[in-house]
Amino acid sequence: MVLVQAIIDGILVGTTYALIGIGFTLIFGVMHKLNLAFAAASIAGAFVSLLAWQQLKDLPVPLVFLVAAAAAGVLGYLIYLTCFRFIPLKSPLATLMATVGMLIFLEEVVTHISDGKAQNFPGMVPEARWVLGPLDLRVDYLLVFAISVAAMLLLLALLYRTRLGIATRAVAQQPVAAQLCGISLDRTNAATFVMSGVLGGLAGAMIGSSAELLSNLLPLQLTVKGLIVTVIGGLGSIPGAIVAGLLVGAFEKGLETWSVLARDLCVMLLVFVFLVAKPAGIFGKLNVRD
Amino acid sequence: MDYLYGLAQTIGVHTILGLSAYVVLQTGQVTMAQAAFFAIGAYISAMLTTVWGVNILIAIPAAALVASVLAGLAGFPALRFKGLMLVVATMALGEAVREFFFNFDYQIAKGDLKVGPAGAEGFRQIRYFYERGWTTAEVALFIWMFVVGIMALLWWMDRSRIGAVLRAVGEDELAAQSVGINLTAVKVSAFAVGGAIAGVGGALYGHYTTHIEHTAFGVLMATFAIAYPILGGLSSVFGTLLAVLFIQGLLIQGLPMLIGGELRNLLFGLLILLAMNVRPRGLIDGRVVRMLRGLFSPRSRHA
Repeated sequence: MVLVQAIIDGILVGTTYALIGIGFTLIFGVMHKLNLAFAAASIAGAFVSLLAWQQLKDLPVPLVFLVAAAAAGVLGYLIYLTCFRFIPLKSPLATLMATVGMLIFLEEVVTHISDGKAQNFPGMVPEARWVLGPLDLRVDYLLVFAISVAAMLLLLALLYRTRLGIATRAVAQQPVAAQLCGISLDRTNAATFVMSGVLGGLAGAMIGSSAELLSNLLPLQLTVKGLIVTVIGGLGSIPGAIVAGLLVGAFEKGLETWSVLARDLCVMLLVFVFLVAKPAGIFGKLNVRD
Repeated sequence: MDYLYGLAQTIGVHTILGLSAYVVLQTGQVTMAQAAFFAIGAYISAMLTTVWGVNILIAIPAAALVASVLAGLAGFPALRFKGLMLVVATMALGEAVREFFFNFDYQIAKGDLKVGPAGAEGFRQIRYFYERGWTTAEVALFIWMFVVGIMALLWWMDRSRIGAVLRAVGEDELAAQSVGINLTAVKVSAFAVGGAIAGVGGALYGHYTTHIEHTAFGVLMATFAIAYPILGGLSSVFGTLLAVLFIQGLLIQGLPMLIGGELRNLLFGLLILLAMNVRPRGLIDGRVVRMLRGLFSPRSRHA
């Protein structure tokens, strides 16, 4: 029963991994480039909202989330400008390295803001629980799940129901053809970075809020987790990222009931198993390369 | 003066780390596993010298051999992927190795001291150099013998047929395959050579710091390993050395003296960013190499 409880918790919290995975996958899908600074920017956004919360006491939690989303969105645009806009796309290593530079920079900014230790973060409904038969669910986990699902639905609506979404999908499929149709590559790419940034900032704030702590180690940890989710789900596949996020979340929480020490090792092995058995990921197409 | 020798040790070991990634990057593969092979080299050589009392000149090749074999074995499944998939696969591999050393416990009593790796605490008391009374300068010289040897080897390789094959695979796999190059063999060999070099670097690192722990071999070190050759350029081994001098010498050791440590780390990331915007193919790219060749052999320039 402990295991079932843990797995359900993992699925609920795994939605934040799914959001981070979607962010990586969106950028990869549109630009065919890896943005290693994405998860760090998400956490940096959450830290900006933490600053806002510390400065203006009594800032309601929903507003804190909005600040985090907005800040991460702005950071996403900045990353696009500094790491992708002016570097020739023919040298994939250069953009990769530039995002690494950005990752190091953002991590350092986070270290400065946090003073090198985890900081208190406003919780949503601390202590509230919902007892359902033998299960004992934390209400804030349920809220995380609900908000994440809402954000994903919003994203899908944006991608499939608006002109911007059509442009984004067109660029992802055929950049040259899209450009011939009069779509501005530059603007579409920038919009993708902002979209993924907003999702990431929201995820970062929710990770902090559900633990009531925002760790300064999160940028690197979340980068690794996000990449794992992206690969297990299949590159460029949004449904894949969602399923993989829930899977990794459930796997992690389930293993925690057994041994916290072996948890990360097992997650890495899970990735390797997936890479060997199903290299294209759950929903991915094979032969994608950057 | 000891400070400078210490700096020389750091720069030497990081150059070896960078060169280990250089070989793999030349075939167009971005690997994040170099820190893992570095860790394997460090742990194995340190266990050989400290726990079993083997001579370091035997321990280093042994560590290189083990790291190389493991790299080759890991290379087979990992090299089915390209680009981002390989980045993540090798990153997962690296983290798995790090987690292994995090849980790795093997201590024996030596006199009244317990030596050997002790899980999260790390492996302390790697006192090989101290027990034999080597000075900092001698250790630095020892490290640089390996640096020069590896650089000479890679420099020769770059100019030989092997280098041409590696670069052919890196530039265009399809074209390389169609002229009869066995892609898997080339990539796995590059992986194994890179693993061996990383093993040597790790062995030297473990012995000069005297204390290794799993946290040192994380994603950050793997990132540094590929950062040096990418920043320096993949056209020449000297690019990697230049990048190490730039990062370790100027940014990490030099800047704090000028502007204080607080700002240094902030600038560090931004300078990498700037360098990639200004010189997307590295500090020493193909054009610089041709220019330098022209300078040193004026006759060929007019020919």
